[in-house]
Amino acid sequence: MDDPFDSSVNLEETHLKEGYDEGYSDGLVAGKEEGKQVGLKVGFEVGEELGFYSGCIHIWTSAIQIDPTCFSSRAKMAITQMQDLIHKYPLMDPEDLQVQEIMDSLRLKFKMLCSSLHVKLHYNGYPAEANDTQF
Amino acid sequence: MERLELKEVQKLEGHTDRVWSLDWNPATGHAGIPLVFASCSGDKTVRIWEQNLSNNLFSCKAVLEETHTRTVRSCAWSPSGKLLATASFDATTAIWENVGGDFECVSTLEGHENEVKSVSWNASGTLLATCSRDKSVWIWEVQPGNEFECVSVLQSHTQDVKMVRWHPTEDILFSCSYDNTIKVWADEGDSDDWQCVQTLGEPNNGHTSTVWALSFNTSGDKLISCSDDLTLKVWETDSVGMQPGGGFAPWRHRCTLTGYHERTIFSVHWSRGGIFASGAADDAIRLFVDNSESQVDGPLYKLLLKKEKAHDMDINYVQWSPGEKPLLASASDDGTVKVWDLVS
Repeated sequence: MDDPFDSSVNLEETHLKEGYDEGYSDGLVAGKEEGKQVGLKVGFEVGEELGFYSGCIHIWTSAIQIDPTCFSSRAKMAITQMQDLIHKYPLMDPEDLQVQEIMDSLRLKFKMLCSSLHVKLHYNGYPAEANDTQF
Repeated sequence: MERLELKEVQKLEGHTDRVWSLDWNPATGHAGIPLVFASCSGDKTVRIWEQNLSNNLFSCKAVLEETHTRTVRSCAWSPSGKLLATASFDATTAIWENVGGDFECVSTLEGHENEVKSVSWNASGTLLATCSRDKSVWIWEVQPGNEFECVSVLQSHTQDVKMVRWHPTEDILFSCSYDNTIKVWADEGDSDDWQCVQTLGEPNNGHTSTVWALSFNTSGDKLISCSDDLTLKVWETDSVGMQPGGGFAPWRHRCTLTGYHERTIFSVHWSRGGIFASGAADDAIRLFVDNSESQVDGPLYKLLLKKEKAHDMDINYVQWSPGEKPLLASASDDGTVKVWDLVS
């Protein structure tokens, strides 16, 4: 009962399956690479923003050590709160649900502090200011 | 019932662009002090208008200019009437002090990322709130020497915040937004811990489009809001202020006034006499009164009168004056402010 047309009927399906498998494994490799690049970029951005806040806090804390009366008690409290938030940030666990919440609080506290201290500091963000950097 | 009429007392010209808002000075209109109000405009200026006690007509006493570089969207007198706060699309809020009839800009509040839409003083004049297109609400504390320190930056609205208003007696803040909600903010701890304690939105019979404005009744147990969804909504609470066990009594929907407006309602204001006025994009002013005792199962509020063609263009703001016999002032896209008297 050999149908001479059997193999040619299945030809398309076989090729489709082969093509799919090949594409799937290539996709895995390409996707992994792309994911790595995205992760690298996002991780860099988060690190840069946290580093920026950390630097500001460092300067302000030093200023307080030199002159404890240089900022209002409300500003000093906000500086301490920002410091705690930076310490709390789960840097090595991007899937931790707190990540966004902590970053949002940091951004609000930073805005408030800039206003209180009458400074015009602005974290411009990595993508906008460093678009000439290549990876 | 007596026929009431909204009579135009005066049409005030001077602004060269649309008039966005106005605020009556709460320390005027009694004890022989002539009524004063401020109006602000797309022409980047604020005008101070004072009533002449001999003929009851208003004239422009001062023009506050060369400070804001864009539209002045909102203005508010401090409860003492000594300071005037003005919020501008230039992202700043300016504080003006009346020094012997001259207004000096004594402080500039910077922090918002873009257009400041509204400004409001709390009842004691110790706190100021501002809101902006940047979706945030800021609370500022008044310090000695006309200094203002930011107490908190609140971000919970998901869109442009249109108006902020403090409760008339308590330090509870209300904000309304392009995100269709009204949010209630309170400091529940004792360390600047301002939080959103309630959101009045669609699931609580709230508005289905932009909420433009809100206003409280005198006792502060009711508030009215107006919206792009063509309705007015009255909200109520069982008790105002902090509860004995901590926390706040929630606000709930009391009724919706629908079918009265065909265009966006931009402004609503409740008089101390219990009459509330609405200003809308159909150029008309409507007045409503309490109707809850006149008939069982009837509407809780009824239309008292509708003044068609009150202005040539959209009415952006309406507000009742302080004093024994309140006057109504309205601000419009037609560049004028009108003062109205409710007569029978």
